[in-house]
Amino acid sequence: MGDGFKIFELVKKVLFTDFVKGLSITLGYNVSRSITHRYPDEEKWIPYRRFRGLHTLNKDEHGRELCVACELCSKACPTQCITVIPMEDDTGRGIADRVAKVWKVDLVRCLFCGYCEDACPTRAVRLGREYELACIDSRCNVRQREELLHPQPTPEAFEGGVVARATFIRKKRSIKVKADLMNTKKRSI
Amino acid sequence: MMPDISIILETLLIVVKAFIVTMVLFVMPLPLTWLERKIAGHIQVRLGPWRVGPHGVLQPFADMIKLILKEDILPYKADRFLFVLAPVLSMVPAFAVYAAIPFGESFKIPGIEREMTLYLTDMNVGVLYILAVSGLGVYGMIFGGWASNSKYALLGGLRSSAQMISYEIALSFASIGVVMMANSLSLVDIVKAQGGSLLNWNIFYLPVGPIWFAVFMIGGFAESSRIPFDLPEDEGTLSSGFHTEYSGMKFAFFMLAEYIAMVTISVLSVIMFFGGWNAPFNIPLPIPPIFWFVGKVAFFIYVFMWVRFTLPRYRYDQLMNIGWKILIPVSLVNILLTGFMRIG
Amino acid sequence: MEQLFFYIFAITAVVAAILVVSMRNAIHSAFFLIVCLLQVAAIFVLLRSPFLAAVQVFIYVGAVMVLFLFAVLVLDVGKEAFREHMHSQSVPSLVMVAALLVIMGFMMFSGKLTVPPGAYNEAALAKNTEVIGRAVYTKFVFPFEVVSLLLLIALIGAVVLVMRERGKGADRNKPEDI
Repeated sequence: MGDGFKIFELVKKVLFTDFVKGLSITLGYNVSRSITHRYPDEEKWIPYRRFRGLHTLNKDEHGRELCVACELCSKACPTQCITVIPMEDDTGRGIADRVAKVWKVDLVRCLFCGYCEDACPTRAVRLGREYELACIDSRCNVRQREELLHPQPTPEAFEGGVVARATFIRKKRSIKVKADLMNTKKRSI
Repeated sequence: MMPDISIILETLLIVVKAFIVTMVLFVMPLPLTWLERKIAGHIQVRLGPWRVGPHGVLQPFADMIKLILKEDILPYKADRFLFVLAPVLSMVPAFAVYAAIPFGESFKIPGIEREMTLYLTDMNVGVLYILAVSGLGVYGMIFGGWASNSKYALLGGLRSSAQMISYEIALSFASIGVVMMANSLSLVDIVKAQGGSLLNWNIFYLPVGPIWFAVFMIGGFAESSRIPFDLPEDEGTLSSGFHTEYSGMKFAFFMLAEYIAMVTISVLSVIMFFGGWNAPFNIPLPIPPIFWFVGKVAFFIYVFMWVRFTLPRYRYDQLMNIGWKILIPVSLVNILLTGFMRIG
Repeated sequence: MEQLFFYIFAITAVVAAILVVSMRNAIHSAFFLIVCLLQVAAIFVLLRSPFLAAVQVFIYVGAVMVLFLFAVLVLDVGKEAFREHMHSQSVPSLVMVAALLVIMGFMMFSGKLTVPPGAYNEAALAKNTEVIGRAVYTKFVFPFEVVSLLLLIALIGAVVLVMRERGKGADRNKPEDI
């Protein structure tokens, strides 16, 4: 410390060492690869399993609906966005003789908390990994049972947490980004 | 008396050259804005413009269309006369500087055996002219800031006037140093004096060359009001300084002037310190001198952008301290040193 | 050709000079003063002294006027101050102008104000700066030094005027924001 230190500081200032240090850091970043995902043109982020996206209604291995229309999900929902109307059906559509006539979720009100998932006694309701929920008219804000019964593009078994190659599909009424789950890579950080 | 055919040709040549230089300068900001955003992106590990054209190269054209179509706002109680005039006032000096800047030496056109020079004029007071005219650009900022009838703009104008005055001195001192090293005020002679090899360049005129270069670059950053000295348009405290109230094409003119000022400082630093169009060492290949010139200028433009995305902005009192308490004393001592070296 | 340019510059300069004194707004006056000074610089070029022209632009237009504008912007001179911009001095000033015109006209027509125009060929023009430098440092070195000393005194005086006595100003280290 003392005078020697001061002189050292002065020399550092005269030689612009701090500037050079900063400039070399930014130059290093300038030539490094960018971490931007080229979404939606080329890449798409496939979330982890824990992700809570659009609801799905699951079926068992025989193709029967797991939902027994117990309405626990709609009771558990903090925003009351799930509507369930039960009905009787013994044709084997569901695992019991009580199935949902209507099971709809209002996505505008849903806050994706996952309480419905937890409340479900048969594990019929799951929050999936779909996150592209925007559309061009407001009707699609309410998703019906029929739609939610379709399996989602990312299967439950898929690990997730990767960036997949994707193609951007532009249709007249909608746009979609189709991920190729066979062609994935880890996120570069 | 019928004028000589060669005089007409000569005049025509000058007009054509002036036209080409002006057009190049007008188009210059298009690639520069793209480059700036691209470099910003990559330094911040992003991609920058990407979606308009391949790698976003058409982005500047999209911006241009946007600027042309935007509403041209005249603020309430603004001074109409100066408000309209200010963008022009800042743009014209930026272009006028290039009347004296040489881009290369004269060469023979192969077909018609005529000498052609790669500059508009070789003024014998070139350095002084450039310093004088490039200093006039500040009036655009001052008048624009005052005429907008806005406090942010007025403060921006004030800051720019104080900043320009302070750093013009340092810039002029650095130019004086170069003039002393080259023994001439003409830019062509300054470049010629640095011919031969790398070691003849003014930056390697040890020990004073690098000091002059540092003073010149700091002054140049301030004169073109780029980060870290962009106090006149400090977004953090002045929203955007003197051009807060401007929109559309008038705003574009200010941007144009700013980018051209950056190019001017790059060109000047190449001419004054890095040997202009001289090759750094003898290369047996027939590389045209203009290639070296453009390459060096491109490097300096990159440095400007590189620094912009590295350093934060200085505070106003720091700016004044650097200008008056460091650069000017250093310049004065350096003039003495350079003088002794020239005598000895 | 040269005469044509001279008349263009001269008329613009005179018109701008008149506008300087007749404008009600100080900023507008400053703008026209800049125009006027630029025209004078152009006339210097016509008189074969590019050095003088460059210095005129550099110092008067580039520095003095910027400082002047800075002061005007800071002072915030309202429009009211310029309502009476002649300050009831129109009669004496007109008399003075007329007298000046008469004297200058007399000098010019009697041939006492003419100077032979400088050398015109390129070689002589290139030496313009050199000639001025040589004259200033040899023949006119005494006046030159006196002027330098005067400027130095003015500089020191300016510094002394704005300096506060030590200990009085408590907020000296505060950054002075503009």
